[in-house]
Amino acid sequence: MRAMVDLGNEPRVLGEKASPVVRGGWLAAGVGLVAALALGALSGQGWRGFFFAYLHAWAFFASIALGALFFVMLQHLTNAGWSVVVRRLAEAMASTLPLLALLFVPIAVGLGELYHWSHADAVAADPLLQWKSGYLNTPFFLIRCALYLGVWVWLARFFVGRSLAQDTSGDVAHTLAMRRRAAPAMFLFAFTVTFAAFDLLMSLDPHWYSTMLGVYYFAGAAVGFFASLILFSYLVQRAGFLRRAITREHYHDLGKLLFAFTVFWAYISFSQFMLMWYANIPEETLFYLHRQEHGWGWAGLALVFGHFLLPFLALLSRGPKRRKGALAVAAGWLLIMHWLDLYWFVIPVQSEHATLNWASLALAVGLAGALMASMLHRVRATSLVPERDPRLMESLTFENA
Amino acid sequence: MSAIPLDLDNTLERPGERAPLVLGKSDLASITEQVCEIAERPRPSREWWLAFGTSASLTFVLFAMLGYLFWTGLGVWGINQPVAWGFAIINFVFWVGIGHAGTLISAILFLFRQKWRTSINRFAEAMTIFAVICAGLFPAIHVGRPWFEYWLAPLPNQMQMWPNFRSPLLWDVFAVSTYFTVSLMFWYMGMVPDLATLRDRARSKIRQIAYGIAALGWRGSGRHWHRYERAYLLLAALATPLVLSVHSVVSFDFAVSQLPGWHATIFPPYFVAGAIFSGFAMVLTLLIPVRHIFRLESLITPRHLDNMAKIILATGSMVGYSYIIEFFIAWYSGNPYESFTFLNRALGPYAWSYWIMFTCNAIIPQLLWFKRLRQTPGLLLVISIFVNIGMWFERFVIVVTSLSRDFLPSSWGVYWPTWVDLLTFLGSFGLFFTLFLLFLRFLPIVAMAEVKSVVPAAGLELGPHRGHGQYWGEIPHQHDEENER
Repeated sequence: MRAMVDLGNEPRVLGEKASPVVRGGWLAAGVGLVAALALGALSGQGWRGFFFAYLHAWAFFASIALGALFFVMLQHLTNAGWSVVVRRLAEAMASTLPLLALLFVPIAVGLGELYHWSHADAVAADPLLQWKSGYLNTPFFLIRCALYLGVWVWLARFFVGRSLAQDTSGDVAHTLAMRRRAAPAMFLFAFTVTFAAFDLLMSLDPHWYSTMLGVYYFAGAAVGFFASLILFSYLVQRAGFLRRAITREHYHDLGKLLFAFTVFWAYISFSQFMLMWYANIPEETLFYLHRQEHGWGWAGLALVFGHFLLPFLALLSRGPKRRKGALAVAAGWLLIMHWLDLYWFVIPVQSEHATLNWASLALAVGLAGALMASMLHRVRATSLVPERDPRLMESLTFENA
Repeated sequence: MSAIPLDLDNTLERPGERAPLVLGKSDLASITEQVCEIAERPRPSREWWLAFGTSASLTFVLFAMLGYLFWTGLGVWGINQPVAWGFAIINFVFWVGIGHAGTLISAILFLFRQKWRTSINRFAEAMTIFAVICAGLFPAIHVGRPWFEYWLAPLPNQMQMWPNFRSPLLWDVFAVSTYFTVSLMFWYMGMVPDLATLRDRARSKIRQIAYGIAALGWRGSGRHWHRYERAYLLLAALATPLVLSVHSVVSFDFAVSQLPGWHATIFPPYFVAGAIFSGFAMVLTLLIPVRHIFRLESLITPRHLDNMAKIILATGSMVGYSYIIEFFIAWYSGNPYESFTFLNRALGPYAWSYWIMFTCNAIIPQLLWFKRLRQTPGLLLVISIFVNIGMWFERFVIVVTSLSRDFLPSSWGVYWPTWVDLLTFLGSFGLFFTLFLLFLRFLPIVAMAEVKSVVPAAGLELGPHRGHGQYWGEIPHQHDEENER
């Protein structure tokens, strides 16, 4: 068993050290956004490319924040002890949800470019869209999105706020309240994430449907989140914080979860693909057919190998999960793969041929910068661990038996 | 040794502390005594004989029905066109689903460091194996001519005939047999130290020899334990994907088709959640009476029941989620056949079965939000039986409603089971309970060696060892030094 870490000597408040990163983040946000807007303005085909890139980038970063919210709620639901030292970092990631809600505005603006079903003439010419118009219409879509965002922001504020409040009061009532609310919160989470995936992603191709899509988006979100949390912990430690609090035991567990969700993602995406391929029903296979042609097949193959087979082999054994450098490399790789997964989902609707949408790259930088800056700005005055969580001791001395 | 009061409410877990998982006089010797005593009674109770007699008679009915089936042919069943899959496939999916709790508890909960599983894993694993035996029976007899069963295996042969490798029905053969093999291995390997305990305590020659052979020469040396723990971890890791794969492949049997109500991409995870749901329900159905009869309340505490009830609530909600999503997408797809199928399920000739399913699976388990209910074993038993019923009807709904009314109204039909169908199904319960009663009679029904690793006597409270599910903080009321051994 490990001796206890004396948290008193552990640097755990970012303070002024965060300022350069915050400034850099805002700078990246500005540069990325301006570059993306310039690319949109200069492209010959209007703003369509920009909005698709924006939706992709938003869905990517939202998935990470949602994964973080899921993780935080799950830790309370299961009364987990091991994870307390990394939970504040996850809370910080989940607390980007209000900014993400604000960043949703461009999607609402670009609705006409993004969603075929939002055009009255398209609906008039298409009996299927007429059938769905009770659900797929602009006002109802916006109301639903507002509802999802509202629920997420509300949940994030509750779980992050209570955790921060406990830092000062040390009151266990906060822990009990979070534990009590975690289960119903999971219900809200499951349904809002599912329908958000249906609305934002599935309805890009309004003829296509898959009952699995909510689970698919969630599986990717979990991979993206665990990869981000590992990277975040790694970088925070590189900067000199929590160096003894977060140990290889915690990385080991995070690595296991990253591995598990990588396999889960593969299971879900393979099942979805296999069932559609096997049944070969036109309105379903169209989705995959399009993503196998015009070069998109390469992206799909890259996912098979890069999102599953390679990381599966890399993370299978104990060693790489316990070496934070190696684990951080795998996490970075999987984060890129999760980005590619959503790219492969969203961008083929906009572009028949496989291309690199440069605006996507610019927006990845831009949104990453903005979210990082706002996140670090938020947490810089607070401790990076839940200081007075009653399970902190358990987490600090945690060992993989 | 210390004793934690039996009436301590260990479902309450104050933040920062871990509740004890074993109550009462929980030193190592008394655990051995308590568990071994059940298998060492000189003769079983009258109730055991009564139960055994009933289930053995039902097993006899099963074999009589099989004989009749083989002699006469599949015409004795209710299956026909268009419903060519009837009770046999429903029962297969039902039983194989029940067979999911054991591996989940022994593999996945092990990897998640849920130490409370130690009190119930042996029990659940045994139940898994018996359920998979019952499950395997049904497809085997459904092929019609069971003497050609070996055609399912890809055996090189003169006729150059091979099974269709693209068929999920063949994948099933591999998935279920792999699952059975691994579950059996896991169960047996985990039992070796306990079998050795029974061997060492045996008084008669026959028992010494029988348990001696089964214990494989286990002596409990440090090296034995070291290798045992390693093997256990590896088997747990290997069994974990099996928990998902078996019922996923079973769901493929349906979902690869184009039939509305069968072809849904959510089927694999939905089936897995349903399997765990039904498996845990069956564990509770069996465990609550057994716990009461054999006075195992100190080992299988209110916390264990509470946790199992929560897993039933969680997986039941996943099943409910799938029902809702399927319904929504059936409408959203705009596919008239999809919409029809789901409306037909809810309002058509088999609507009663749909509403039994929906009530038992999606509504009744929601009562488990109430803590008082989770802690009343009698009510929990009732709910778990409802879940068993509901999950059987789920498979009935899937198989029968979709087949009986598909694309062409001219080819619609109705399905009703015959008395042979019903008696065969009843007989499978006989087989299940016969095996289960034999297990209760002769084997250690609680994993003694594993439970001993989570009791205070294991010395965990002496140092700040904070592995998950172990003690952290003060253990309430355990300081009676005078009982120290």
